Amino acid sequence: MTVQTERPPSGPADVRKSDDGPGRPQPRAAERTGALAPYLLLLPACAATVLLLGWPLLKDLLLSFQNLNMGQLIQHVTEWNGIDNYKEVLTGEDFWRVTLRTLAFTAVNVVLIMLLGTLVGLLLARLGKRMRVTLMIGLVLAWAMPVVAATTVYQWLFAQRFGVVNWVLDKLGWHSMADYSWTSGQFSTFFVVTLLIVWQSIPFVAINLYAATTTIPGELYEAAALDGAGVWKSFTTVTLPFLRPFLYATTFLEIIWVFKAFVQVFTINGGGPDRLTETLPVYAYIEGVGNQHYGMGAAIAVLTILILLGVTAYYLRIVLKQEEDEL
Amino acid sequence: MKRSLFGRLWPNVTAAVLFVGFVFPVYWMFATAFKPTGDIIAEDPVWFPTDVTFEHFQKATGVDHFWTYVGNSLVVTILAVVFSLVIALVAAFALARMRFRGRRGFVIGFMLAQMAPWEVMVIAMYMIVRDASMLNSLVPLTVFYMMMILPFTVLTLRGFVAAVPRELEEAAMVDGCTRGQAFRRVILPLLAPGLMSTSLFGFITAWNEFPLVLVLNKEAESQTLPLWLSSFQTAFGDDWGATMAASSLFAVPILILFVFLQRRAVSGLTAGAVKG
Amino acid sequence: MKRKLVAAIGIAGMIFSVAACGGKDDDKAATGGSNKGQTLTVWVMDGSAPDQWQKDVAAAFEKKTQAKVKFEVQQWNGIQQKLTTALSEENPPDVFEIGNTQTPAYAKTGGLAELADLKSSIGADWTAALNNSSVFENKQYAAPWYFANRVVIYNKKVWADAGIKDTPKTRDEFYADLKQIGSKTKAEPIYLPGQNWYHFVGLTIGEGAELVKKDGDKYVSNLADPKVAAAMETYKKFQALSKAPKDKDEATPQQGEVFGKGNVGAIIGMGWEAGTAIKANPAIEKEIGYFTIPGATADKPEGVFLGGSNLAVAAGSKKQELAKEFLKIALSDQYEGELAKINGVIPNKESLQSNLAGNAAAEAAAPAAAGGGTTPLIPEWAAVENAPNPVKTFMTAVLNGKSPAEAAKQVEGDFNKRLAQQQ
Repeated sequence: MTVQTERPPSGPADVRKSDDGPGRPQPRAAERTGALAPYLLLLPACAATVLLLGWPLLKDLLLSFQNLNMGQLIQHVTEWNGIDNYKEVLTGEDFWRVTLRTLAFTAVNVVLIMLLGTLVGLLLARLGKRMRVTLMIGLVLAWAMPVVAATTVYQWLFAQRFGVVNWVLDKLGWHSMADYSWTSGQFSTFFVVTLLIVWQSIPFVAINLYAATTTIPGELYEAAALDGAGVWKSFTTVTLPFLRPFLYATTFLEIIWVFKAFVQVFTINGGGPDRLTETLPVYAYIEGVGNQHYGMGAAIAVLTILILLGVTAYYLRIVLKQEEDEL
Repeated sequence: MKRSLFGRLWPNVTAAVLFVGFVFPVYWMFATAFKPTGDIIAEDPVWFPTDVTFEHFQKATGVDHFWTYVGNSLVVTILAVVFSLVIALVAAFALARMRFRGRRGFVIGFMLAQMAPWEVMVIAMYMIVRDASMLNSLVPLTVFYMMMILPFTVLTLRGFVAAVPRELEEAAMVDGCTRGQAFRRVILPLLAPGLMSTSLFGFITAWNEFPLVLVLNKEAESQTLPLWLSSFQTAFGDDWGATMAASSLFAVPILILFVFLQRRAVSGLTAGAVKG
Repeated sequence: MKRKLVAAIGIAGMIFSVAACGGKDDDKAATGGSNKGQTLTVWVMDGSAPDQWQKDVAAAFEKKTQAKVKFEVQQWNGIQQKLTTALSEENPPDVFEIGNTQTPAYAKTGGLAELADLKSSIGADWTAALNNSSVFENKQYAAPWYFANRVVIYNKKVWADAGIKDTPKTRDEFYADLKQIGSKTKAEPIYLPGQNWYHFVGLTIGEGAELVKKDGDKYVSNLADPKVAAAMETYKKFQALSKAPKDKDEATPQQGEVFGKGNVGAIIGMGWEAGTAIKANPAIEKEIGYFTIPGATADKPEGVFLGGSNLAVAAGSKKQELAKEFLKIALSDQYEGELAKINGVIPNKESLQSNLAGNAAAEAAAPAAAGGGTTPLIPEWAAVENAPNPVKTFMTAVLNGKSPAEAAKQVEGDFNKRLAQQQ
């Protein structure tokens, strides 16, 4: 299977002709069907998206302009309160602090995941068969572990009193760590959360990257070697350019996944200590669902979406351009 | 080109260390599930369960409605994955193979859809389902889970379809196949890895979902396994042994699926992801 | 080994099949009689209602009304969202258990049916202190069901090793005993994590302090009160004897399991936590003893938080009369007494306390109950208890070296914001 997809399209003529879409009268009936075909094929997916995502989103937007708490929910009362929710969120300093923290958190995690994931992927390519399969099994196990279970296990490993990590550090001679409380500091909590997320995300990147490298045609390396390229040179001139689209796409996915990570952050320490490790999804949950202040939660959710859009705008622009080039 | 001993050694040593690092938490989950309660919290960690006990597994599987949950989880997850594969496949075909106005818009649309923060939209979804009198039913769960995985599936499969050489398809059409037949006979078999990798992703997502089913389905008859999994962490203390036993059981279908699909799925994900 | 494994799988298989049978619901069609064929849905929390009690009450209920009752055991995880949404639905649970500190908030939402007639027919001798939480704006919205408070659970062997003969009667004696354990044995005198906040609430009740105060027409934090600080100082003094984490509550890890290791002198916990210890280490059972948490003076036990549950009827239930019939049976002397006996919890009437005889933990708990109290019974309180609970944050801050005044100041903003939340 080839990964080279930048080839110019050579689709059937009738489809190509119908570039102008169905809005224009078409001369022949067959052509008209051809022109409609893509829309018909997209119809189920779009209908599902509008109905199952668009509707809840719209509902959420409406709720964000309401005062909706336990009472209103139980009594089915709609209490509009204009932009009060937004005003309260945006004028409080909490929200901005949480937003900055979320951005930093996402950046650190994604950089680590991509960097380490790539290194592990390249290592896989270098290993002998037996060792490669072994490591792959390890990666797959970590990847497949249910998030709830993984989070629970990490909680234990880093528990103050009976945690394995403290026990090991103590035995290794770092005695001050024997009773170290990982969850009482902002950074140590983030350290544990980051370790958990990176641990569970590396397999996706590493395994896919390894699979991608196997599709790089060997001739490219031979050609590079003929040009006198060393290991590093052939990596930067052959491997990296070849993997670039893959790395872009994966980074985009990881940004979304890390940004939205909820269970890991919430379960390890509930956003503590002192609410210092709340990220946006956790903040939205605590304010909205935990406090049963649903209108407020909806407003934070809307803002979260907008911020995520902002974060990924750069990638979306690349995609837009790329799509333009392709057709 | 012969590598030095060191050159041959370090990748293997690194791999071994990484292997231990990645596997240990998983091992700890399984090992804990088999330990007697007294060994779970210990001043000195009990590295290997010496007195193997099945007590935690018995407790985990002995709860009321356990098999109902298993059945519901399987039905909801499998249906969501299958529906999303079918819907996504036709959409992916259009996006990868056809030229039409607004194509970019659709692609961007699915990328945006992928960003939906489902956890924080739960109450909005709940109110929709409640007002449609569809609570305690597997239908809303199935369709919402399908939607949660649909964008990823569309975008990934699009990459796979694009990676199938057009010439193959054209050759089939020259041989007298219609476009639909060409798709079915030529492209579909080549898409197998893509279908597997996306179904794996979809399966994990749907299988793990908790917040929505918690509020939508309050009757045991329509509940799923994640609720069962969280039920061992109670106000009377978290039953770690049972939680770990339940987690181990919960992970088993995913592990099986992984092993089953792994070889083809992995090579597949790449092709899809490259196209993103 | 292999045989053992096979046997174990066999047993697991049996459990599967039994569970599968239990999953079936036989709702037979009505064949006459006004209530026949009706099923009342009752939500009880995990651990609240013993199986035997459920069976007995269901039988008595069916005998009297011909209607069936279906108990649904609820998990604590996410219960608030579940209950709130359930009450907004067309078919809410008819009767449900609700925590006493949560009751005012739900009463205010209009989701609970008024139970004035029930109170007058069966509630004349409900213990007043226990009924407080069910009354909101002078109306009865729930019925008190059962209560529990913390005791000292101690390891007799550790205390004997330290040469202590009697259980302490005052706070100072208690402290001295723990000190003695610390110096004469290798055991940890007490395992007291930094966020056993219900014990802290108990201490504030003992000091006569309030956690909130009224400021104009709204409630604000009262953590800066010197009486609260005094309670916190007591807590800190005892906590200093423990190696337990300062930023964790008693459930992570389970203090019962830690106690079960046998190397801890005492914990402050609910009677059932001894069961957790015994489960972790059956050998500990014979060493476990209980005593009432000693107060400042010997004549008055320490203040305790009276945790407990009420039973309420959903306003949206279509079976109001049946629901009240159910409450009359479930709360009758016979079944209220049975619950107290089986679970060792404090019943809603003093006359039923005789059911606790022979239950060492409950006997130790009962003396303190009269002086017990709760968190403020105002609808605004519910938001405070949601994680991250500012009272817990306050406790950890003090234990980590801040003065109570500083710590109170630190959490005040969050605390007041929660109290001021629009309802």
